[in-house]
This record gives sequence, structure tokens and C-alpha cells, in this order.
Amino acid sequence: MFNGFRIAMTWVHTWFGLVLGFVLMVCFFFGALSVFDREIDRWAIPETRFEPQPMPSFDRLLLPVLEQQLSPDEQEYAANMPKLHDAGKGPMTPRLELPVDEYWAYTTHRDPVLAAGGGFRVPHPKDPTLENHIHGRVTIDPRSGTVLRDDALKIGSDWFYPLHYKLQWEWKDLGYWIVGLAAFSMLAALVTGVIIHRKIFREFFTFRPWKQTQRSALDLHNMTGVVALPFHFFFSFTGLVIFASFFYFPLSHTLLKPLHDQHAVLEAQRAGLPYERAGVAVPMASVDAMVREAKRRWAARDMAGEVGFLTVTHVGDANSFVSIYRAGSDRVSLVGEGIHFKASTGEVQYEDPPRAAVSEINEFLTGLHLQHFEHWLLRWLYVLGGLLGAVCIATGFVFFVEKRKRQHAKMGGQGSRVVDALAVTTVTGMVIAAVGMLVANRLLPIDLPGKGDWEKWVFWAVWALTMAHAFWRSAPVAQGRLNPAWCEQCWALGVLAIAAVLLNWVTTGDHLIKTVFTDTYWAVAGVDLSLLGCALIAFWVGRKLMRPTTYEKNAVNRALALHE
Amino acid sequence: MNESLWLTAAVLFAVLGMGWLALSLRTHWQQVCPQQDLNPREGHLRASGACLLLLSAVCCFEADHPSMAVLVWVMILAMAAVVVAMTLSSHPGLLRSICPRAFIEDVHSQD
Repeated sequence: MFNGFRIAMTWVHTWFGLVLGFVLMVCFFFGALSVFDREIDRWAIPETRFEPQPMPSFDRLLLPVLEQQLSPDEQEYAANMPKLHDAGKGPMTPRLELPVDEYWAYTTHRDPVLAAGGGFRVPHPKDPTLENHIHGRVTIDPRSGTVLRDDALKIGSDWFYPLHYKLQWEWKDLGYWIVGLAAFSMLAALVTGVIIHRKIFREFFTFRPWKQTQRSALDLHNMTGVVALPFHFFFSFTGLVIFASFFYFPLSHTLLKPLHDQHAVLEAQRAGLPYERAGVAVPMASVDAMVREAKRRWAARDMAGEVGFLTVTHVGDANSFVSIYRAGSDRVSLVGEGIHFKASTGEVQYEDPPRAAVSEINEFLTGLHLQHFEHWLLRWLYVLGGLLGAVCIATGFVFFVEKRKRQHAKMGGQGSRVVDALAVTTVTGMVIAAVGMLVANRLLPIDLPGKGDWEKWVFWAVWALTMAHAFWRSAPVAQGRLNPAWCEQCWALGVLAIAAVLLNWVTTGDHLIKTVFTDTYWAVAGVDLSLLGCALIAFWVGRKLMRPTTYEKNAVNRALALHE
Repeated sequence: MNESLWLTAAVLFAVLGMGWLALSLRTHWQQVCPQQDLNPREGHLRASGACLLLLSAVCCFEADHPSMAVLVWVMILAMAAVVVAMTLSSHPGLLRSICPRAFIEDVHSQD
């Protein structure tokens, strides 16, 4: 079929890259935005614009809130309770009468608000070996213990972030599978790309914007692919690793489930942490005292730190225990160094032992991708890596179209026209949809019922519109020319990005002079400055696209000279 | 020296190191110095560029926990390479200023 290894690799690189490249664009771009998901949340939910807080007192602040204001989620109860409850053992327990079985609280160095929640026990479960919990969660202002409205859409952490790993396509977990396939094809594209790139070192720094679009697009494709090769490889690979045990190779929940369950019981026995409730009600000792002891032990190990995650298991039972995990803000691996206390007495029951080498590597790879650490330079470098990935894929599309469009024009083919329109949709269209969502967030009234759903609809509608526009304006591509939609969408993006910054000022009073100089709040200032940067780049590119390139000017001059 | 100073040094060494590595390549040297009478000492530039990149790694390890430092260094290298590539494509003359005299060979002076 192929006359040589390199040609075969070129075929794999081109077609796998093209078909799954559209998904990879979403992964890289929204992955890059997810680096600052909490900051985007602050921009989108102005009432949460205050400084990040450490974990507050559990005894005085969290416990009263959890006891009085946490309830099982209505939708989850309606969907799961009938499946979990054994009707043969009695009627279904009403939602608000379900007994609580566990509490948790989670915060990071970037979270002003605290996420907390719990699991409520199904009293008569069909299968007692399952978790049998209906969950509930609340968002708390850790300064006062006030429960904040939880219905506002966290655009960064609940929309952009999940979009990059499941495309918000939850039916049959299809989004996870498509992204997994795309990540796998990215790894294949990287390997094949290295094989087919003949002058990888000689052209390491090469970008010639003055040459023909096809050549300069290939330069940029090679350069952005090669300089950030470790980033592209590790993020595709670790993305697969993170979901491997849940979706791609869920052995512990399928083939090896009995072994997994037995291991969990033995592990609990070894650690002395009860796997089940004793059924004897016992009050809980001071959790704050346990937190102090945990911090003392971390400091003694030369790992002083704050609490990142706290859980109470089997709440109110003689077998209840409290697990306290250190926030991993100073290292790559995720939260760890867990210390477990007997809830009724407060004595230390078990300390997590040092991890085995395999577990350590897994934690590092996972942490590398999920970036819970406090390192602003590295965060920005991750954004750069994500954007370089997006540029690499986008220039791949441009190269594909430029290489074929004249030939397709001669033959009357429409292939490059379709690819070009899809490229417009996933490059400028996707950014317009994201910025359009921020504009909608500021324009829609705060008390609009289902405001978050409206924002989601705006996102999809704007994206669909950019796609319609890209196809509508794509006729010139079939004649071997540039699609004007590229230029027009750049201008639209610039206008929308500036509108978002202005609307933030008008609706909240937080303008850049205030957020940068007089009342510094970098989360919001950073989003505003990024939007302005995005607008500047969009206008600059739009202007460039309006004018013929140097190469085209030279070609015209040559043609005129020949004519004369 | 505090963390941000170490990281600033790491970025500077990486950009300089990548710049020297780029200048050690004939094509880029000609972009930067179109004059025919000046040649780069390619070996010197390559070796010194590599040393600067290693120095950049040392600064990263001084600033952070090793597991973090290795990530920071790899990403700084990527950023530095992009900075050098973009400088070469838009303002190649700027790279002339980071090339020490000792790494330039004057063809006429050898005659």
C-alpha cells in the first residue's frame, strides 16, 4: 500500500491528526484555560471575589453548617434512590430523612470558597457491598460559614475544565472515550511526526512567515510541535493514565471486583480503619485538635503544610474515623501524607506509610497533569504549552488545506473547503464561543432562573453560529483562495473580548485600574488582561489576513514583470 | 537568593543558551549576520549554549523541590526556544547582541 516507511508514517500522521485533531483542539485549548479555572470562576461569580482562605475550623464553622444545611441532592435522589433501595425491606426513606454517613471538605491555595459535602446512607440497600450513598454538596464562605448559592455556573471549573476531558458529552461516557482515543492518536501523531520530520534539529528554530502560507504553516507546525514535545507527550499520556482505571481499563470494578473488594477490607483491617459501621452511636471528639496534631506530625517530618482535604467516615458511629490530608501545594504529587484519627477519642489510628515506587510514579504523573501546586510561573508555562499544542494542531489543518486547495479547485473537489470550514470552527469559532459565554455571563441577570443553563446554551449557539458562518463563507477555498471567515471571526473575537472586559467593569465595578493597582485582585485582573491580550492578537491577525502576504505580493510582482 | 531570582536567572540562561544554540546553526547565523566576512565558532557556541541550559537547570533546582524543578526547567526550555524562534523570524538582528565577540571569527583577520 505504501512505498516506504516514512510515507506510511506520513499517512498515519495526516489522517489521524486530521480526524481527531478537532477533538484535540478542544482538549488543548480548554485544557490551557483550565490551568486558571478557579480564576475564571471568580470572574464569572463576582460574589466570590475575595482572597483564598485556609481550611476553617471544623468544630466551630464547618460542622454546624454540614449538620444543619447539607442535604442529599434532589436530582441524585430521584435518579439513584429507586435503583439502590430494596423495596422488599420496606418503603423508600424520604430524601431529607436519610442518615448522614460521611462528610468531606476540600480547598486549595486558589479557592476563596470552600467545597464541602457528604454522603447519605441508603438504609435498606439492594446490594450492601456497594457504596449506597446519595450525595449532597454545599459551597461555603470560610470567613463566615455562610452557605453561598450553589446554582451559579462555575464557568472555569464546571464548564471549561470538564470540556477538555469529556467534551460535556456524558451519554454512555462517550466524551471520555472520544478524548481518550484523541489522546492516544496524539501520542501516535507525535511519534510519527518525529519520524517524518527530516530536519528536526536543523529546523528547530525555523519559522519563515515571509514564505508561502503552506511553508510557513508547516514551519510553525514543526516548531510548536518540537519545542514543546515533552509537554505534548506527557499531557496526552498522563491524561490517559488519569482515566485508565475508571474508563479504559476498569479491571478493579469489572473482572477483578471481588479481589478489589477483598483488598479494601484487608487494607482497612491492616490500617485499623473500620470498613463498616458498628451500629453504636458515639459522639465525635474535636476535629480541630486532630488537625493540630496532623500539622504537628507533618512539621516533624519537615513537611509543614495546610490541610487540603478532610473526611469523616461513618459519622456518629463507634467506628467513625477522621482522615486529614495535606494540601500538596509545594510539590507535584497530589494531596497526601494522610493521618487518620479515631473520631470518638481523637487518637491517631493510622498514618499513611511512604508510597511504593509505582504509586509514587502514578501520583507524580497524575499531579503533573492536575497541577494542584502553587507555582505561578509553571502555571503560565502550562498555558503556553497548551496553546503551543493548539497552534500545532491548527497549523496542521492550515497546512492540510493549503497543500490541497489548488489541486481540489482544479478538480472541482470540496474536501479542502470542508476541512477549512471545520478548522475555522475549531480555531476562531471555539475561542469566540468561550468569550461569548463570558459576555453572556455578564449580560444575563443574576437572578435569572437557570442562568447557568442559559450560559451553556449561549456557548453552544455561538459555536454553532461560527460553524454556519465558516461554511457559508467557504466558497473561495474551492477556488484556491482564503476563506474570509478567518478574518471576520478574528474581528468578531476582538470585539467580543473587549466587550467582556467592559461588561465586567460596568456590572461589577471591577475595572483594571482597581484590580491591578488600587485594590489588587489578580484572579480577575488576570482574566481581563488575558481577554485584552486575546483581543489585540485577534485584531492583529485580522488585519494581517486582510492584506496580501509578502509571498503573494512577490508573486503578483513577478507576474506583472513577466507580463511587461 | 530567593525563589523568584533563581527562576529569573533560569529563564535568562535558557533564552541565552537557546540563542547561542540557534546561532551555531549556519542558516540562522546567516539570518543574524548576513555579512560574508564573519563566521560563527560553531563548536564554541554549541558547547556554551548547552552549558547555559544546564546552568538554567541548576537555577531551577535551587528554586524548587526537585520534582517541581524538572517540570519548570522543561517548560522554560520550550518557552526559550519559542522566544528565540520568534526573534529570529521577526528581528534577527537582536540576536547579534547576545553573541560574544569571542564566538565570532573574522574571515579577513585570518588572511
